Amino acid sequence: MIYVKDLSKTFGENQVISHIDAHIRPGEKVVIVGPSGSGKSTFLRCLNLLEQPTSGTITFDGEEITNPQTDINQVRRHMGMVFQHFNLFANLTVKKNIMLAPVQLKLMTKEQAEEEAMRLLKLVNLEDKADVYPVQLSGGQKQRIAIVRSLAMNPKVMLFDEPTSALDPEMVGEVLELMKRLALDGMTMVVVTHEMGFAREVGTRVVFMDEGVIKEENTPQEFFANPKDPRLQDFLSKVL
Amino acid sequence: MEGQWESFKNGIYQTFILKDNYMYFVKGVKVTLMVTVLALILGVILGVITAVVRSAHDQQPANKRSFLLKVMNGACKVYLTVIRGTPMMVQLLIMWFVIFAGQRATDGNLIRCAVISFGINSGAYVAEIVRSGIMSIDKGQMEAGRSLGLDYASTMRFIIVPQAFKNVLPALGNELITLLKETSIVTVIGLRDLTKGAMIVNANTYQAFVPFLAIAAIYLLMVMALSWLLGKMERRLRQSDIR
Repeated sequence: MIYVKDLSKTFGENQVISHIDAHIRPGEKVVIVGPSGSGKSTFLRCLNLLEQPTSGTITFDGEEITNPQTDINQVRRHMGMVFQHFNLFANLTVKKNIMLAPVQLKLMTKEQAEEEAMRLLKLVNLEDKADVYPVQLSGGQKQRIAIVRSLAMNPKVMLFDEPTSALDPEMVGEVLELMKRLALDGMTMVVVTHEMGFAREVGTRVVFMDEGVIKEENTPQEFFANPKDPRLQDFLSKVL
Repeated sequence: MEGQWESFKNGIYQTFILKDNYMYFVKGVKVTLMVTVLALILGVILGVITAVVRSAHDQQPANKRSFLLKVMNGACKVYLTVIRGTPMMVQLLIMWFVIFAGQRATDGNLIRCAVISFGINSGAYVAEIVRSGIMSIDKGQMEAGRSLGLDYASTMRFIIVPQAFKNVLPALGNELITLLKETSIVTVIGLRDLTKGAMIVNANTYQAFVPFLAIAAIYLLMVMALSWLLGKMERRLRQSDIR
């Protein structure tokens, strides 16, 4: 589904990602872990070109999205993204947050989008928040709404950039629960996270990134039971 | 004491009542408000466009800027430099005596000239105010919009500019107040605004105290009314901030 070939990204002198190859298959739940500054967020943000790669190619559904001729807005419709800081539109109510993109991109009429928004809000038990502004919500509520906002676009793949890192500990659970449900529904997911429990339980493949390269990748069982890379062994001994 | 009171009463009589002089003030207020409001609308349109072009240029990585964007950014920079670098009165004189040269000095033409001059002038200041607002919005808002497939322009229009606008409303209010008061220099091209009205009355009646203090009071009242309106608008826009 997503092929990454020889991807590199530098910020000035600083090489954040160097020559990464990766392949994400339909239905996979790829969990990317690693120390901070390892380039995992940058890698994820390259997948929908929020970060412009310095070199290398990314192909999504047979289309080379790193080609300047590609209409990236068209591609992004099919790739949902969830951010660490939620990034709900502060000037719009919850319902309008969800409706904006489908309506503006003429994928749905206003009525359809409203119906869909209410259906999605029911899914996360937040239908009573439809008409409030994001500032009135808790972190966990914001993140669940950010997730369903992406879902309203019917994406083929969802990218999660540390979705629980900015949450109070007691709200992490509700967000992970929703992500698990998504996974069970068969959504293709790429998740950057520090939640090892989630990686183990939901991931179909866990990737360890360090210093801008993929040091090791494996099934969750093998990854946690038999880490081979010394840096990964060190990392796991600290986080587990 | 008695004499001063008499002369004050006489001043009032000559300023307002004699020969229906009060009409100079009534018509003057109308002209002043009309020039201010129309110039404000033009200024905000010009300002927002300039601000969006400048921000779009600055937010785009250097190798992704299109030729058109570079040209537009250059034009905007020239606009800001020239307009903010020359006195408003000089701009007004150039507009009337050079660009409007040969036009008859009818009220319509004079007002048109004043609105265009003040609109262009105000737009340069509004542009920088709005740009500061755009830059104050968290980068994540733009990223969220773009990640959903919205293009740059739509994200600006529906997400960034509305939030920026709310943040800069106090500064915009300031600009509007300045604009209202600064329209008094349209007297130099002979447009009969509030200030010109007082000057005419002064020339006809030799009264100074009453007409000039009267227009000072009228300007003050208009500014106070504007501030009140702006405060109301700000509270309405702050709706999304109430926890």
